[in-house]
Amino acid sequence: MKRITKIAVSAVALAMPVALVLSGCSSDGGNGGGGDNGDDNTLTVWAWDPNFNIYAMKEAEKIYQKDHPDFKLDIVETPWDDLQTKLTTLAQSQSFGELPDIFLTQNNAFQKNVINYPDLFSGLGDSGIDFSEFPKAVADYSTVDGVNYGVPFDSGTAIGAYRTDVLAEAGYTVADFTDITWDDFLTKAKDVLAKTGKPLLSGQAGSSDMIMMMLQSAGASLFDNDGNPTIADNAALEQAISTYTELVKSGVFVEVNSWDEYIGTFVNGSVAGTINGVWIVGSIQSAADQSGNWAVTNLPKLDGVPGATNYSANGGSSWAVSSNANVELAEDFLKSTFAGSTELYDTILPKAGAVANWIPAGGSSVYAQPSDFFGGQAIFADVVKFGASVPSNNTGVYYYEARDAVSAAITKIIGGADPKDALAEAQSTVEFAMG
Amino acid sequence: MIRKLRGAGGYAFLTIWTLFSLFPLYFMAVSATNTSQAVLSSRLLPGLELFNNAAKLFAAQNVGAAMLSSFAIAVGTTILALIVTSIAGYAFEVYHSRGKDVLMGVLLLAMMIPFAATMIPLFQMFAKIGMVNSLFAVIIPAISTPLLILLFRQSTRSFPSELVEAARMDGLGELAIFARIYVPTMRATFAAAGVITFLTAWNNFLWPRVILIKNDVQTMPMLISNLSAGYVTDYGVLMLAVLFASLPTMIVFFVLQRQFANGITGAIK
Amino acid sequence: MDRRLNLTGWGFLLPAALLIVIVSFVPMIQAFILSLQTGRGTRLTFADPLWYNYQRLLGDEIFKQTLLNTFIYLIIQVPIMLVLAMILASLLNNPRLKWKGFWRTAIFLPAAVSLVSYSLVFRTMFANDGFVNDAIGIFGVEPVNWLGEPNTARFVLILGLLWRWTGYNMIFFLAGLQNIDSSTIEAARIDGANAWQTFWRVTVPQLRPIIVLTAIMSTNGTLQLFDESWNLTKGGPAYASMTMSHYLYEISFQRNPNFGYGAALSYVILILVAILAFIQLKVGDKRD
Repeated sequence: MKRITKIAVSAVALAMPVALVLSGCSSDGGNGGGGDNGDDNTLTVWAWDPNFNIYAMKEAEKIYQKDHPDFKLDIVETPWDDLQTKLTTLAQSQSFGELPDIFLTQNNAFQKNVINYPDLFSGLGDSGIDFSEFPKAVADYSTVDGVNYGVPFDSGTAIGAYRTDVLAEAGYTVADFTDITWDDFLTKAKDVLAKTGKPLLSGQAGSSDMIMMMLQSAGASLFDNDGNPTIADNAALEQAISTYTELVKSGVFVEVNSWDEYIGTFVNGSVAGTINGVWIVGSIQSAADQSGNWAVTNLPKLDGVPGATNYSANGGSSWAVSSNANVELAEDFLKSTFAGSTELYDTILPKAGAVANWIPAGGSSVYAQPSDFFGGQAIFADVVKFGASVPSNNTGVYYYEARDAVSAAITKIIGGADPKDALAEAQSTVEFAMG
Repeated sequence: MIRKLRGAGGYAFLTIWTLFSLFPLYFMAVSATNTSQAVLSSRLLPGLELFNNAAKLFAAQNVGAAMLSSFAIAVGTTILALIVTSIAGYAFEVYHSRGKDVLMGVLLLAMMIPFAATMIPLFQMFAKIGMVNSLFAVIIPAISTPLLILLFRQSTRSFPSELVEAARMDGLGELAIFARIYVPTMRATFAAAGVITFLTAWNNFLWPRVILIKNDVQTMPMLISNLSAGYVTDYGVLMLAVLFASLPTMIVFFVLQRQFANGITGAIK
Repeated sequence: MDRRLNLTGWGFLLPAALLIVIVSFVPMIQAFILSLQTGRGTRLTFADPLWYNYQRLLGDEIFKQTLLNTFIYLIIQVPIMLVLAMILASLLNNPRLKWKGFWRTAIFLPAAVSLVSYSLVFRTMFANDGFVNDAIGIFGVEPVNWLGEPNTARFVLILGLLWRWTGYNMIFFLAGLQNIDSSTIEAARIDGANAWQTFWRVTVPQLRPIIVLTAIMSTNGTLQLFDESWNLTKGGPAYASMTMSHYLYEISFQRNPNFGYGAALSYVILILVAILAFIQLKVGDKRD
């Protein structure tokens, strides 16, 4: 009998705090999401990086609070993969009441989500936001049938960042890697590798980021204007892949397995440069011991491809206003901050390396400030200039399917498969997915 | 001599497997005391960064809240699962009938349903009754599992039926027999079922990350996945969080391992 | 049996049964109806013919690849794991073994670590400049791009599964061994059988019910394998390590959502698990 009492007592003791926590959390369980929580001055936001887009959101909150003291943000940290899963689940179960007011979306996924689930979004046509103040190539990601659905946030403008000390060891300067073609790059990078033992580039095996940047730099894509895949018989793609294969085979591009390792290659100094979206600067700067030894320039361009440029983009994201939002407040907030506050961009640029897409911000003196880490170069002013020259990219609804298929093809080609066959296979994979 | 050698071989094999088992755990613990850079260059010695990492982790994430949610979910699931499945397993055996055997077979089929397939309808269900963000929405689907019912049913086979008969003679009600006689006798089985449920509930990832939308109810595995989702990951901090997330389950197993082993033994007699 | 007692019994198992029906069977029926529909997002219509999604699976190269991967894991990992678990259990069951508690704890401990956590740890260890490559470098072996090549990526995934689940299964075998009459083993010894022969000819046959149980649990777990594929290798390179459940998740949530097709895939997984479980039960019975 005693034992039962003991068990009962301990069960109750255990259950009490649990019950308290559970009841506390379920009391408002029905309205976890956005504007329906009865508070007219609070916006719920989904974003994913505390050091980057969440940080920027918090700064935007402070700025908006100056004129609206009661205003508050409730920011929910949600990794992009989870955010995509949640959007799909909510749309599929028609639970729009759980949506936040504002959510961040990868530019590459914007078209797909708007076209599949228009009910998730509020169009920003009547918001009063002047979208002509954003580069067309960037605003295009979140524009469907002429309607804007997103306020562009971070710029994915691509940069080539190199270790000046390593280049100098091999007798080069950054100028030798500016406005060049990939053929030039290969010759020089092989020389650097031979003289210093350091490759200039690295990236994740099985990722097609590099190929996609090369493609966009020539204004090419994996789809034609009608949305049909153009993976097979795509001259720009073939050139990009043969360049990439050559980079890997010659050893100047090191393939690693994961994102972390990729970051590790240049942070620990085993690779002397990288090509990526400008947001990579945050990771580069984490190697404090390399301060003063980096410089930023544009990308090499593809050889023999019409329309090839030295400019491209990778990544980038935009703020969307949900269909469940307090639309008026959300639009006014975005309009007064991400689409209207130089102060905001001046704050988040040096702290988080978040380069504005909002063109008026680029004229600010903060962008002209030299960076010690990059040997006194005013990198952000340069990046804003690059950004203006980036060709538009046709992502389409099936961007991810096509990108994955191309990634698989690249893995096979590097493993020795015939490029034509591998790309034809990728084409049919995408056609199958679209069927 | 031969016997000795055989023993040595056994010890050698156990030693190798133990090293293999413990090394990743050691790696996790050591990395929690190192900087991100040191983790990436695979430093295997303890460092001095533990407090720095902890400070960064607690500044960036609400670890306390996540631990509390995870704990509430794991304990809540375990208590409810033990009550619901033990009485069911008991009933399948003590009130045995052909109809119940058929039902057991049908219920076992539920083990084979891939979760990703039922996720959307489940979400719809919980959204309809306004339980998104509620920890109960995480707990309810995990309460009744065919494996636990099976475990209790099999264990009950070794439970002497004379005890039930005798108690009925004494005028005890059926529920009282279960609560006062069966439950105390089967403590080992409860421990085994409890450990399995606690581990599964604590480590569950896919479902909570769909149904728990607000940050203040996120669980430890979700917190870990948040930590590695930004453009820049601090591996020292990440490994510290992984360590925090793993300690409670290890402690639960550590404390209950003898009963756990006995409980499984009782079930597969 | 007494009618009243019979009803009491039904009453006792009602909550458990009801919960399983609500959270598993009802959604699964909804999923079946979904599997007959086609379309993107929420614009679903019934397919023509109704079994269109199932037909479509036959022409899906990625599905075939993930099916192959899943079976590679099943055929290689499950038997190795069960044999290892049996050997470890019988070593631990030796009454003369010292530090028994230590061995058992150490071997089981991986099962307490969450799938997300251990995937991250393994990913860091098998990085190109990670610990494993540094370690084999000492012996002059060239670094291996573990997660970048199809076969090594599968190898790492299998190694991870072995690490995580061998101890878990060992507990079941340990329990089974404790129910075996030790005199049968002694008798074999006296007849001159060595430890290895005794293990295979006396111990293993008596463990048959446990083998069937663990085999069914592992088969089920392998066919539904998701977390490792998702966290450890992301399914790569080029789908070479992606599992069926991972592909199901991709179809439903990561790509242009095609829930009808995803639901059809989930039924294929369900049917495969059921068939394999049935075969294992039959094989397990026959040797009686």
